[in-house]
Amino acid sequence: MKRSTLQLILPGLVPCIIALLLTAAPPLLSAAKVGAPAPDFTGSASNGKTIRLADYRGKYVVLEWHNNGCPFVRKQYDSGNMQRLQKQWTAQGVVWFTILSSAPGKQGYATASEENDYLVKRQAAPTAALLDPTGEIGHLYDAKTSPHMFVINPQGVVIYDGAIDDKPTTDLNDVPGATNYVSLALQESMAGKPVETPATRPYGCSVKYADATH
Amino acid sequence: MRGRALSSGFHRTFLGGAALLLCAATAQAQATPIPHGTLQLIASNPSIAPGQKIDLGLRFQLDKGWHIYWVNPGDSGEPPRVEWQLPAGLTAGAIEWPTPRRFESGTIVDYGYEDAVLLIVPLQAAANLPTQQPIRIDANVKLLVCSHEMCVPGKAELSLTLPIKSPPMLNVHNNVVRKQDVENEHLFTATSQSLPRPAPPDWRLNVADTSDSFVLSVNLGREVTQAIFFPLAESQIENAAPQKLQSTATGFRLTLRKSERLLKPIARLQGVLVFAADHSDLSQSYAIDVPIGKSGGARSSSIKIHPAEASQP
Repeated sequence: MKRSTLQLILPGLVPCIIALLLTAAPPLLSAAKVGAPAPDFTGSASNGKTIRLADYRGKYVVLEWHNNGCPFVRKQYDSGNMQRLQKQWTAQGVVWFTILSSAPGKQGYATASEENDYLVKRQAAPTAALLDPTGEIGHLYDAKTSPHMFVINPQGVVIYDGAIDDKPTTDLNDVPGATNYVSLALQESMAGKPVETPATRPYGCSVKYADATH
Repeated sequence: MRGRALSSGFHRTFLGGAALLLCAATAQAQATPIPHGTLQLIASNPSIAPGQKIDLGLRFQLDKGWHIYWVNPGDSGEPPRVEWQLPAGLTAGAIEWPTPRRFESGTIVDYGYEDAVLLIVPLQAAANLPTQQPIRIDANVKLLVCSHEMCVPGKAELSLTLPIKSPPMLNVHNNVVRKQDVENEHLFTATSQSLPRPAPPDWRLNVADTSDSFVLSVNLGREVTQAIFFPLAESQIENAAPQKLQSTATGFRLTLRKSERLLKPIARLQGVLVFAADHSDLSQSYAIDVPIGKSGGARSSSIKIHPAEASQP
């Protein structure tokens, strides 16, 4: 009798268990995807503020994965290109978050004061630099490289995921002739057009996560 | 492979004969420091003759824990790039990429080389190559070296001077062989054997396009229980996704999850198949080039992973 009750109940339970498992393992399943809502996050900025992505609904948001020692990132900062983009787009109301997902001891890790010094020294102008040494936000977006870029539209939907431009090199000379995918996505979307290149391979250094093992 | 084995025997004979004449020549450039290692430009032969094809090699030796990248670096990184400066009458081919290995760190999977690797580049001399003086070969190399902690860019300016021999080359007069030349020759031979070879013509390969995966079926007449696929092009398959292998009586099926960045259909799946779970046996590695959705027709690859096979004498 007991056995048959169990047999009746079990099949009904299976979907519940699966649903529970799905909600309990968020990072991979809710990773950012072009056309899907951008996963929400809360992060600590180097300026001491707490940033919640959902608070910026109604604005375009750019996410820039950063590692100040990575040669691909240095190409963008040494040429002044990244700072130029930050100034150009924030002046038009775009919110720009630079995100540091390097673990302590690894290339690109910075404390709040180190990052603030860096921002001043490099004349960088993001809305804020978010410190993510645990890699929580990085994994939420499956950020693979620095610089890996995302663009989120005012409805909170990811409209671009990938490389900063079409020149996957560390050569400063490649910056001037490059097609910048972030600017293209913003321009097209602001003009009410579909984003022609919504996803590319995000070239660069691998994000130096805490859990990176050999 | 056969071609290489034959030609290396021939080279050995020639080496013996030519050694005395070459004692003054420098076929061995010094190793140049690069970040976390050294890089050296070497040649498969101690000289070159008009009309002859020899191999040049970029010999990387890396500190423990550091790696460079394959032609498709995977999720991050950048392959080394070389710019040749060659005198008139010499033409360098494309890099012949040895079978890479996977570098996994969390959700990021890269393809590359650690410890030591030789990147072979064929060098063809024109029939009318002037023979009066030795030739100087210059190579500017740009590279990225990474560990799991950081990435560092590097640059190296390499050069090599090779004497020119007039054909015919079979002037065997003595048996003095320079140790370094023999070592180089062995290194080139060993590296050639680790290059992916074209898939044998009797294999039947096909790729089925399912909604989220490419299913690569390989029928080679025997059971295979372990295989890894390295995609030649970026953003076709999800590098970090497990590659599920189903053995069949005559081969296997390998399920490769499509990249989320693959937004347009692709016509062919190109890459390297290795029949090993780890990197213990790179001798069983094959270059494949398979049209998607059709069966049977595809065989060996025409891709530039191992063009030497076709051009061997």
